[in-house]
Amino acid sequence: MIKVRIPTPLRPMTGGKSEVEIAGNTVSEIIDNLNSAHPGIKERVYDEQGEVRRFINIYVNEEDIRFLTGKDTPLKDGDEVSIIPAIAGGA
Amino acid sequence: MLAIPSSIIRNMIAHARELAPHECCGILSGTASAITGYYRITNILAELSEQELSRFDGAKLSDLHRLSPEERADIAFQMDAREMAMAQRDIRSKSLDLLGFYHSHTFSPARPSQTDITIAMEFESYRAKLNFPEPFHLIISLEHIEQPVVRAYRIQESKATEIPIQTMP
Ligand SMILES: [Zn+2]
Repeated sequence: MIKVRIPTPLRPMTGGKSEVEIAGNTVSEIIDNLNSAHPGIKERVYDEQGEVRRFINIYVNEEDIRFLTGKDTPLKDGDEVSIIPAIAGGA
Repeated sequence: MLAIPSSIIRNMIAHARELAPHECCGILSGTASAITGYYRITNILAELSEQELSRFDGAKLSDLHRLSPEERADIAFQMDAREMAMAQRDIRSKSLDLLGFYHSHTFSPARPSQTDITIAMEFESYRAKLNFPEPFHLIISLEHIEQPVVRAYRIQESKATEIPIQTMP
């Protein structure tokens, strides 16, 4: 199982949970399986072209998947996936 | 005390002025409490549609939704995630730390807004798990256009505490 960290804006979909355990061999499978368990997550994380939105970082352990093999990044038991919005702010 | 080379202060102010009235944003690197590098990051807010923003986070738009994307970028920023990750990677390759974030306030004073504090606390909630040190938050105010003001803060437990800046030659 893979531990997935859920950012605040997506927690309404996970019943308020900040971490969930999901099975999957790649990041893409994790997002699909997460979406089966908690519908609505996938369309929030991916844009209309199916790419990770421009303001979201997905980390496997401490590395951004854009520097691994993207959504195909393989996962093994004990890996941790973090879905994290890039820093923002308001005046 | 936070030490910052005067060249980086000048560059952050120049960045803020170039993008005004939009807010600029960026990342600061260094070690301990001395900044040694900076990365300009694109504020993508002006390029994001309302649909794209609200699909991820409806709450975020609560005070922005009547505005055009261009207007939103005047009073808020959203870092480009890819550029942010590239900066983090570069910082790590130099064995430095990601020491802070900066952004401009084009019409308001150099202190964190409630939104800034809320988002800083959100970052705080996962920061340690990703091995980032506690960041400084710097704000460049262009409220008085001829006299830009730069201030640094720590944001803990939903409170911002100003940290004096020591400008290095
Ligand atoms: Zn701000």
